[in-house]
Amino acid sequence: MKVHIKNILIWLSLCCFCSAALAEPFVQGGPIGSQTDDGFNALGPVVEQPIEFPHKTHAGNGPGQMNINCMYCHTYARRSNVSGIPRLDKCIGCHKMIESVRDKPRIKKLFEYWEKKKPIPWKKVHDLPDFVRFNHERHIQRFYFREHRPVREVCGYCHGDVGSMNTARRVKALSMGWCVSCHQKEHLENASTTKTSNGPNDCWQCHK
Amino acid sequence: MSSNKIDRRDFLRVLGISGAAATLAGCGNTSIESGAELVESYVQPEDFVVPGVGVYYASTCTQCGSGCGIMGRVREGRILKLEGNPKSAISGGKICGLGQAGVQMHYNPDRLTKPMLREGDGLKVVSWDKAMGVLNARLGSKSTLSGQQIAFLTGEISGHQKVLLANFLESFGSTNHVVYDALSPVVGHGANKAVYGVEQPVLQIDKARLILSFGNDFLGTGPSPVRMAAQYARFRKAPRGTLIQIEPRMTLTGANADRWYAIRPGTEGVLALGLAHSLLQHPEFAHSIPQELAAALKPYDKETVAEITGINADAIPHMASLLWEKSPSLVISGPSAEGHVHGFSNATAIHLLNLILDNRGKTLQGQANHPFPQLSPAFGSYTALAQLNQAMSAGKCEALLIMGCNPAFTAPTFVPFANNMGKVPFKVAFTTQLDETSRQCDLVLPILSPLEDFGTHVAGYQPAGVELMIQQPLMEKLYPETRGIGDILIDLLKQRKPDAYKAFPDYYAYLKTAVVKAKPVFKVKESDDDFWEDALRNGVLRLDLPPAPIDARVAAIKVSAPQATEMGMQYPFYFVPSVKADLRDGRHANLPWLQESPDPMTSVAWDSWVEIHPTTATQMQIREGDILEVQSATGSVRAKAYLFPGIQPDTVSMPVGQGHTGYGRYADGIGANPFKILDPNFDEQTGELAMYSTRVIIKKTGENAKMIKDEGPTTLQQGRKLVVTMAADQAELAKEITRVTQ
Repeated sequence: MKVHIKNILIWLSLCCFCSAALAEPFVQGGPIGSQTDDGFNALGPVVEQPIEFPHKTHAGNGPGQMNINCMYCHTYARRSNVSGIPRLDKCIGCHKMIESVRDKPRIKKLFEYWEKKKPIPWKKVHDLPDFVRFNHERHIQRFYFREHRPVREVCGYCHGDVGSMNTARRVKALSMGWCVSCHQKEHLENASTTKTSNGPNDCWQCHK
Repeated sequence: MSSNKIDRRDFLRVLGISGAAATLAGCGNTSIESGAELVESYVQPEDFVVPGVGVYYASTCTQCGSGCGIMGRVREGRILKLEGNPKSAISGGKICGLGQAGVQMHYNPDRLTKPMLREGDGLKVVSWDKAMGVLNARLGSKSTLSGQQIAFLTGEISGHQKVLLANFLESFGSTNHVVYDALSPVVGHGANKAVYGVEQPVLQIDKARLILSFGNDFLGTGPSPVRMAAQYARFRKAPRGTLIQIEPRMTLTGANADRWYAIRPGTEGVLALGLAHSLLQHPEFAHSIPQELAAALKPYDKETVAEITGINADAIPHMASLLWEKSPSLVISGPSAEGHVHGFSNATAIHLLNLILDNRGKTLQGQANHPFPQLSPAFGSYTALAQLNQAMSAGKCEALLIMGCNPAFTAPTFVPFANNMGKVPFKVAFTTQLDETSRQCDLVLPILSPLEDFGTHVAGYQPAGVELMIQQPLMEKLYPETRGIGDILIDLLKQRKPDAYKAFPDYYAYLKTAVVKAKPVFKVKESDDDFWEDALRNGVLRLDLPPAPIDARVAAIKVSAPQATEMGMQYPFYFVPSVKADLRDGRHANLPWLQESPDPMTSVAWDSWVEIHPTTATQMQIREGDILEVQSATGSVRAKAYLFPGIQPDTVSMPVGQGHTGYGRYADGIGANPFKILDPNFDEQTGELAMYSTRVIIKKTGENAKMIKDEGPTTLQQGRKLVVTMAADQAELAKEITRVTQ
């Protein structure tokens, strides 16, 4: 069989990118209190939430875990600059059908909020300074819809492997140097090409 | 002179950021903090709601009387920005700076949030129950007030608010709806009515090849500036139209003109007659007006006119030849020509030119006759206020209700409105923010901002067909204890006339019923609910009607030269109060965006100033920033001198709108209020206050202060040291580098 050298090169480059990219989301920034090169905490503090929401049960892919796509609940991530906390009726939409866990304390608490029609006061875990405009839509459209990378990996670039956590905890620096380090990498333009490009390098992309 | 300190954080706070705990609590936050803020989600949002993505709703701008259709961008339940509504011919999808600042009026930190009742010398916060109790006791079912005993004082008002208000007064057997506007268009309307048979003809600016404007600032403060600016842009496209502006003090429109002539204030009519005389020399126009009128124009030869008006004699035949050459033309009069003792005759003399040039039906058309005249605006006038003031002074007024105007600030000194308010036993103000007038009232009710309330508006200037503008809330009310004026009136009317109003649970129900009733006029085949939904979605109900014809009543035109007054000896300067397109009569001085936006002519911000011609200033040895006392027979004000070549040398000018003493943190203590030095001169024909006929004397105080302005070399930093800079060759670079590395 005749193998074109060009094809080999494509395979090689694809493998390189995949291995680099796949490793990323599951690597934490470092131990708590440690700092990245540009001086930001690599691992955020544990944030207590009003309901200890088990991301693991919903998004994890282990035995007994639901393996739900992140964007089923964080539905705005592909449409807006913010991913949004899921609307309360979304939680209720499923859970009113799941009798087996209805008496669990966390679910009881959920229904208490629902009956009072009160939003759950979640604490913000992934915070950015006010002068930074991060856009979820751009990243999701690029990596999930155009490159068809796995959703847990795409979200995980910035949020870590939330599917293995209960309540979310910041595990990446979310600092400018950290953002730029990814923007400087070569990324495939879509799933069916070897053409690569960087993330934008202009100040105004984030500082408007 | 401005002592107002404002930093960036205060400025942001005006946008309402301080009120909302969760949304932007980390204002100025520069670090990443997990768990420091809340991110509350919706419980059950509408399907189209996406956090971070704006939704646009149509409404109507109420910042001035033009009635522009607007679209409000709403995100996460908050109104963020206003744009023009392309479905409205008035705005044509555009919006002006004044309209943009409507958001700040809504989020103003000085908004009144709770009802207040007079207790001794001060106003105390009370509950709505108590406030409505007081109101019902005085004006409810048991009230015996009638006729002149009750008065409702408002600014310009139209639509169903006006109807509801009239119905409320009618329940007392009263028609005493007093409409007051410090910048009243009544003289102009009167002259238009006399000559053309209509109060406000439609100006087809884009169809004219030459516009001759006597002090009409149609781009800045005219009847519909957004519409006219768009028309003006078309007028300037090839073949490029020519604009000639004649006025004592250069306005924004004057600054755009091809030729600008500084005229002695009040002599505009003489120049118009001189131009008419000059035009009649041409055989084409010789028989355009009756012979006796033509004969009466004989004395107005160019030398005489030049002597009176101060305009170069050769310019007059030049203007006349341009008028002849560039047809169709459009001649318009404006406030600075109309605000004189003979303002009415000035305006009719100016209109004579349109008749000679035969512009009727070409560039001047009548507004379409529309089927809901009861919704048309009531225009404010000085005479209405003067009459009310007299009734109050005589103790005939028992209850005074005030909304949308501030006579304590804008009324001239010789109308002691504020003092006479003391003679009225019960005074109620409906307002979004305390101002000089409402601070003297017995009961102050916080009403919804225009971005929170329903309403309808019919603009006084309908450029094409007729539009019934719909105003709808762009967000939930910011403060739970505010109520719409409509709801308050409906409550009172339920007391007064239970049978007629019991069908309406609230103002919304009333408005919907009233608008839906107009459905047959619009000839649409849809259900009532669909009609209403469409009206809300489009923000405008349009009727395409043909323009009405206008008359040519030559007999109304008076040929008379203004009489010289004795005042000239004692008070050598003419005084021109200039109107800023953003602050208007001062009602918008509480909006920091408008305070911060530099005046288009002088670039001054956050201040008042006295414009004086550089030649005059040199003669009087006045420099920029010298604090001058401008004294008239009525009073005096102080402001910094600003040397301005765009002014007639015998004239000084001050902007109106500043000098507030009780209108919130952004308005108070800034500048001076020239309304208070106006002389008691009145238009002979209409009795309106002649705003531009005051004479003053200028006195130097010997003090000097730095002007806050944007013009000049950037190194001056507008007097505020925004960014301190230094020329590179002056810097000791070696030192700088050491400092940086350390």
